Amino acid sequence: MIGNNVCGWLGRVRRLVVVCLCATLAPFLAAQTAATGTLTGKVVDASGAAVASARMTAVSTDAGQTQTATSGADGVYRLTLPPGNYRLKFEASGFVTVEIPSATVVASETSVLDGKLDAVAQSSQQPAAKSPEKPAEPSLNDLGFPADQTAGNAAEQMRLDKRSHMLKIHQRLGLITAGALVATLVLSNGAAGRNSTASGRELHAAVGGVTAGLYITTASFAIFAPKIAGTKTRGPIRVHKALAFIHGPGMILTPILGALAYEQRSSGEKVHGIASAHGAVGTVTAIAYGAAMLSVVFKF
Amino acid sequence: MNQRILAAFWLLVSPILWGADSQWVLGQSTLSYHVSHPLHESVGVSHQARGKGVCHAGQCDFLIAAPVKSFDSGDSNRDLHMLQVTRGAQFPLVTVRVAVSETEITSATIHCDLEIQFAGQTARYKQVPFQREVHGNEVRIAGTIPATLSDFKIDPPSLLTVPIKNDIPVRVDMTWHPQ
Repeated sequence: MIGNNVCGWLGRVRRLVVVCLCATLAPFLAAQTAATGTLTGKVVDASGAAVASARMTAVSTDAGQTQTATSGADGVYRLTLPPGNYRLKFEASGFVTVEIPSATVVASETSVLDGKLDAVAQSSQQPAAKSPEKPAEPSLNDLGFPADQTAGNAAEQMRLDKRSHMLKIHQRLGLITAGALVATLVLSNGAAGRNSTASGRELHAAVGGVTAGLYITTASFAIFAPKIAGTKTRGPIRVHKALAFIHGPGMILTPILGALAYEQRSSGEKVHGIASAHGAVGTVTAIAYGAAMLSVVFKF
Repeated sequence: MNQRILAAFWLLVSPILWGADSQWVLGQSTLSYHVSHPLHESVGVSHQARGKGVCHAGQCDFLIAAPVKSFDSGDSNRDLHMLQVTRGAQFPLVTVRVAVSETEITSATIHCDLEIQFAGQTARYKQVPFQREVHGNEVRIAGTIPATLSDFKIDPPSLLTVPIKNDIPVRVDMTWHPQ
């Protein structure tokens, strides 16, 4: 009888874990596979007015391929390009040509890059003839940045996007888990002590199971978020991560001890042995979890 | 004869009126953005800006640039989020172009027109005041750029579902010296 109860309880927990694992894996399975990105923007003159028929050329710095687009009457151009780094050039009759050394196109994303063109000098219509004796305006090349600091990195941006997306879900699920955790703690009043009832224990166990499932899902989104190379962990996030070494094992141990306590109480015994640590372990786990949340909320 | 005198006078006076060509290089710099959230505030600081200025015919053009990833708020997680929302890997530099007249540049308070390229967007700010101090042959410029997230079409990141404020004033403190 006792064995059947425990098996049934473990079966429910097993099903919950499977559901949680599916929820965890869903974002990975739904990874996007689009092969092109879009580069669009508006070409304007110094006054901000749209420049029609401006020619925009994108040369792939990776593959050397060239694509061009022409701005419409509203100055807007649009190019569909394979992901990668591009050197861009804006040209229009009567305007100084503008070159942008590096822009990155990300797969399935629309990047907006506006072009501002200055009119050439009226007397010559030649950009170079603006003022022969005038020193050139400072350019990025004058500043001497290493190439790796000026070139866009589409792959790195995608990693950052995916990391932020997963951590945003981690954060939201973490809030929901906190609510479930509080509910489990409140319901523990009906599962232990003088007020303990069979239905109270059932309810506490069920909500506790949901909490554990939510916790695993929440943690998965942080654990599997892409790591960014060359980043040393600094600041309050270190405390947040360190506390996971307390509430992580606690979230595994608490349901196991809870199952033992449930079995003992259901058989009319007083909770004894290692099972008697269920409440204390659960409380420490909840405190560590709360502290982990506060560590990223408040600056210290 | 009068024309010759006039020409000689003009040759003597014009460099004074317009100023001789000069070039400036950015030495030390501190750029800091300020982010506000109902629960806390944070400041990201960069000391890695580089800059150059060219003055000619009474007009000075300055270019200042800093790697987006060089801004340090003391929290690596926050800095990575900042890098993501500002598309810092895709557009790794924030550049500021400043146009100011050479007469203005000698004032204690300089009002500059700025053009900032950041996160793949360009924003322009008119008549931003900066304080100027001269120390020997170095010039210290300090002021605050009233930048906002919406100027660069950046969605405000949120903490516990509460978004940060739109205002991200950028404090600038730079020391320039002639090249």
